[in-house]
Amino acid sequence: MGAIRFDDVGRFYGNKTGGFQALKGVNLEIAEKEFMAVVGPSGCGKTTLLRFVAGFDRPSSGTVSVNGVRVTKPGPERAVVFQQFALMPWKTVRQNIDLGLRNIGVARAEREDRITAVLQLMNLTGHADAYPHQLSGGMQQRVSIARAWVLDPEVLLMDEPFGALDAQTRVVMQEELVRLARRNPRTVMFITHAVEEAVYLADRVAIMARQPGRIKEIIDIRSIRETERWDAHEKIEDVMDLESFVHLRTRIWRSLREEKAMELA
Amino acid sequence: MSRKTMVGGATILAALTLWYLLTTVLGVISPGRFPSPADTWTALAQVSGKGYANGVLGEHILRSVMLVSLGFIVAVATGVPLGLWMGWSRRAEAVINPVFLVIRPIPPLAWIPLAILWLGLGDLAKILVIWFAAFVPSVINSYAGVRNLDRTLIEAARMLGTPFTTFVREILLPGASPMIFTGLRLSLQASWTTLVAAELVGAMTGLGRVLNAAQQDLYPGMILVGMIAVTICGWLMTVALGVAEKRALAWNTAAQAGG
Repeated sequence: MGAIRFDDVGRFYGNKTGGFQALKGVNLEIAEKEFMAVVGPSGCGKTTLLRFVAGFDRPSSGTVSVNGVRVTKPGPERAVVFQQFALMPWKTVRQNIDLGLRNIGVARAEREDRITAVLQLMNLTGHADAYPHQLSGGMQQRVSIARAWVLDPEVLLMDEPFGALDAQTRVVMQEELVRLARRNPRTVMFITHAVEEAVYLADRVAIMARQPGRIKEIIDIRSIRETERWDAHEKIEDVMDLESFVHLRTRIWRSLREEKAMELA
Repeated sequence: MSRKTMVGGATILAALTLWYLLTTVLGVISPGRFPSPADTWTALAQVSGKGYANGVLGEHILRSVMLVSLGFIVAVATGVPLGLWMGWSRRAEAVINPVFLVIRPIPPLAWIPLAILWLGLGDLAKILVIWFAAFVPSVINSYAGVRNLDRTLIEAARMLGTPFTTFVREILLPGASPMIFTGLRLSLQASWTTLVAAELVGAMTGLGRVLNAAQQDLYPGMILVGMIAVTICGWLMTVALGVAEKRALAWNTAAQAGG
């Protein structure tokens, strides 16, 4: 049984006389400690799928469950990392990270230890008392990841987390996330429209199509990554140079392009 | 001293000189229409020393400041929570907003006759009228503050499992606070305007009473003293509020300056 499970999920906007079928018949299982990237053209409903798991929105048909429990509302066991960081601007880095820990009732001493540890993990030591606006975009997103990570959530939901960052920062964040995820695997649902990012980070990549939004194809990355020993390379550009990487990337591109071609026709 | 303060000081000095020239030296303006500096000084000395209109200046100021403060506090203590509630709950908005829309266009001063009818010429009537006047900007701006709050911050708070009281205290209030303070400033202005009007209608002491008595006594010097006293009191309270705002919103001013 998958940690995250979509069963025949659909989303319809409108009323009886007319409307828009945003998602239809989505079936997807993300296994425990699996890193699943979801790619697709804009408007395919990939963010909506993540919002179902987060509990921000509900499907109009089908069910979304986490560890066998149907999702009805948001909660700290399903931590979200938002594209726009969503840090409280009036709270310091420490206070932002602390909020979730306080909410789930962690004792003060343990909170302090966990915050110190996560700050170190995310290379944020020394910035605990800074306000978000004093930090760069990349640092703010680290804080946002730290805020989610510190809760030790069952699943981590990342909605185009590096979409708002510049290209260089983005690469650094991707490398760090790979280190984090390989050392300490989590169940991750990662929404992106960047194909390279999906191939580099994920165990599997789900490719979506639109009108109506649906899962078109799921591509296994992990077996190839492990046989070709991608993780032996430290830098993302070395991995991206590998023939196996290029091959997978091209395959996903083709699949997405077919979609575009059909739209134009 | 900066160039700006020097220019500002020079302008005021020029205005005072012109005032002196027009009223005293050239006699263009008759002292029955507008007081000369000397008349104003005499009036100030009179109200500060032996008193005028049932009290010395300090008593009048104290009474007015007290009433404004009480009315303002009552208005803010009721208006801000109501505005926050209306901003947060669609149901509260649906129920309260129609009533609010009907009451809102009534000029606050039009409540004075009713307030006097209900509560007489005493302090309570004045506090009531100030409340009506200062309540509206507090409600509207707190409401707008909640409505303008970034949706993803609310989602982030829900995702973190934030309980309602923590949410109100640590997300809703600080998030809405820039708008809340805008409301407080407008409420304070409305409080002063309304108080002076209410005291003009009927009061034993207070700066409005000084103005009213001076008008009946055809005493331009005292009218000007009353006006200046009201201005200074209002200005000082606005400055105090500004200091409080700056402290409470340090994160916001810095955030906006930073990007």
